[in-house]
Amino acid sequence: MRSIGFAARSLVRQPGRTVLGILGIAAVGALLFDMLLLSRGLVVSFRDLLDGIGFDVRVTATDSPLPGGVRLNDSHALAIVVAGLPSVSEAVTMRTAGGVVVLGAGKERFVTMTGMDPGPRRPWTLVSGRDVALNATPPEVVVNEQLMSDLAATLGAQVSIRVECDANRASPVARPFGLVGVAQFPFDSEGQGTAAVSFGTLRDACGDGDQADMLMVASNGGAAEAVGAIRAARPDVFAVTNEQIVARMQAQNFTYFRQISAVLSTITLVFGFLLITVLLTVSVNQRLGEIAALRALGFSRARAAADVLAQGAMLITAGGALALPLGTALSIWLDRILKSMPGIPAAMHFFVFEPRALVVHAALLVTTALLASAYPMWLVARLPIATTLRNEVVG
Amino acid sequence: MNATPLVVAHRLTKVFPMGGGPVHALREVSLQIAHGQYLTIRGPSGCGKSTLLHILGCVDTPSSGELMFDGRNVGSLPDAARSDLRLRSIGFVFQRFFLLPMLTAAENVDVPQAEAGVSRVERRRRTAELLEYVGLAHRASHRPSQLSGGEAQRVAIARALANRPRLLLGDEPTGELDRSNGEHIAELLDRVNRDGTTVVVVTHDATLAERAGRRLSMRDGQIESEEMS
Repeated sequence: MRSIGFAARSLVRQPGRTVLGILGIAAVGALLFDMLLLSRGLVVSFRDLLDGIGFDVRVTATDSPLPGGVRLNDSHALAIVVAGLPSVSEAVTMRTAGGVVVLGAGKERFVTMTGMDPGPRRPWTLVSGRDVALNATPPEVVVNEQLMSDLAATLGAQVSIRVECDANRASPVARPFGLVGVAQFPFDSEGQGTAAVSFGTLRDACGDGDQADMLMVASNGGAAEAVGAIRAARPDVFAVTNEQIVARMQAQNFTYFRQISAVLSTITLVFGFLLITVLLTVSVNQRLGEIAALRALGFSRARAAADVLAQGAMLITAGGALALPLGTALSIWLDRILKSMPGIPAAMHFFVFEPRALVVHAALLVTTALLASAYPMWLVARLPIATTLRNEVVG
Repeated sequence: MNATPLVVAHRLTKVFPMGGGPVHALREVSLQIAHGQYLTIRGPSGCGKSTLLHILGCVDTPSSGELMFDGRNVGSLPDAARSDLRLRSIGFVFQRFFLLPMLTAAENVDVPQAEAGVSRVERRRRTAELLEYVGLAHRASHRPSQLSGGEAQRVAIARALANRPRLLLGDEPTGELDRSNGEHIAELLDRVNRDGTTVVVVTHDATLAERAGRRLSMRDGQIESEEMS
C-alpha cells in the first residue's frame, strides 16, 4: 500500500476530525478564492465594459478619460481629422448631459443623457424599437428599460425632456422627443434612468457650440498605434487606449480592493496553514507508536514523511475542491452586496472568474499544504524509533 | 549451515544522557548469534535487554562498539540503508503488536511486502500463506479491533515474517497476553525457528525463555549468565 492509500485509510479512520478539517479548509479556500476573484474582478469587469462598446481609444480635452469635464472644441473637425487617419476605423463625437423627464401629474425624473450619432458602433444595445434618426422632427430618443418603465409609455409616444447641460446653468424649458427605442446602457447603475439622442440634438439643446465630451475612436486593430497617430496629428488633445484607462483605474481607484484582497488572502492562508499543521501534528502524535513500529519494520524516513505529506495533500485536495462551489456562491452574494453601492454600473462585477484565479488558488493551497506539512513531516522523519517504542510500552 | 555468525556484537555500549547524569544501559556487551539460533534474553526491568534488542535490530545505534550483521558492519550505515536492512532482513514483533488499526489483518501483512516492492500477485500469495501459517486465514479481512490479543500478535508475527527475514526479534511478545495465548505465541515462535529463521526474544516470561536453545540473563547492562541446551 502506497502513501496515498495509507493517507486515505488514516483519514477515514478519524472521520469526524477529517470532515471538520476538510470543512475548515473549504471555508478558508472559499474565502481565498473570493479574494483572488476580487483582486482583479473590477479591472476585468471594467475592461470588459469598455471593450464591449467597440471603441478602443478615447480622445479628450484633458488627461481625464471620463466625460463631464473640460470639453473638446470644434469636435466635428477633430472627428474628421481623426477618422481620416489610416490607423483609425471610426471616430464619433460624444456628449453627455443631465436631463429631467416630465412624467406627468407634476412628477419628474432625473436622467443621464448621451448624445452620439448612431453608427456601426454605439455605447448602447437596442432591446426594442429602433435607433434615433438624425435630424428628425421632433428629435428622437432611445431610453433604457428603467426609464421606459417609469414613463409607462409605448414606443412612438412623445416625451418631454428638459436638458440640463451644466449644473450651474438654469434649466431651459422642456422639449418634446419622439420615443423610438429601448436600449441597454452598459454603464447604467441600478435604478438609473438614461436617454440617448443624436449628438446634434444634444449640441443644439445645449446651444454652446460644437463641443463634445470625448471622441470615441475605433482603431484598425492597433489601439496604441492609433493613439500615437492621433497625438501626432493633434498634439493639443489627449488620446488613451482602453488598456491605459484600465491601468489608470487600477492604480488609482481600484487599489483599495486589491489591498483588501491581499490582506485577507494572507490571513486566510495563515489560517489554512495553522489548520493543516494542527490536524497533521495531532494525527502524528496520536500515531507515534504505529509510526515507530513501521520504521522498525523497514519504512524509510522519506516514506514515513511521504505518508504525512499525502495526508496533507488529500485534505487540501478535498477541501480545495469543496472551496470552489462554496467560494462561487459566496462571491455571488458578496457581489450583490457591493453592487448595491450607489453609482456602480449594474453590468460591473467585483468578483469575476478567470482561469488564472483557479490556477493561483490551486498553487497557493498546494504551497500552503506543503509548508503546513513540513513540521509534522519533520517530526516523523526525526522520530527516535527505539525511544518511541520504549515510551509507548512504558506509557 | 552458514559458518559465519548472523550477528556479531562487539563491546556494545549505550549511554543515555539524562538530567541526573548519564545512564549506562549497555556496558561493553559482546555477543555472537549463529544462523538458525533461538536466543532469549531475560533480566529485570532496566537491565538493558530491550536496548540490546533495539541495537541488534538496527533501530538504535550504540554509543560505542561494533555490530556486524551477516558479515556487514551496520554501525556506519546511513539511515536509508539501515531501513532497507530492517525491511528485507529483520522482522520485529512488539509487545503491543502495533498493527495498523485502519487495515485488515491481510493488509497489515501486505504492508512490508509492498514497501519492499514485491509484486501484487506474489504479495497476495505470500499473505495468504502467512495467515495460514499463523492459523488466521479465516480472519484475513478482520481489522485489529476485531481480533483478540493472541490473534493480533499472530498477525504481527505474520507481518514480521512477510519479507522472509533472517532474524526475527521479539520484544516481550507475550507481555500483553494471558497464559493460554502466550503459550500459542511461544509455540509459533518455536515453529518459526524450526523453519530456519533466527529468533531473538526479550522476555520476562520464564516459560517462554526456557523454550530457547540459548538463554542469556542480563543485569546492569551486562550479560550475567548464559545457558545452552
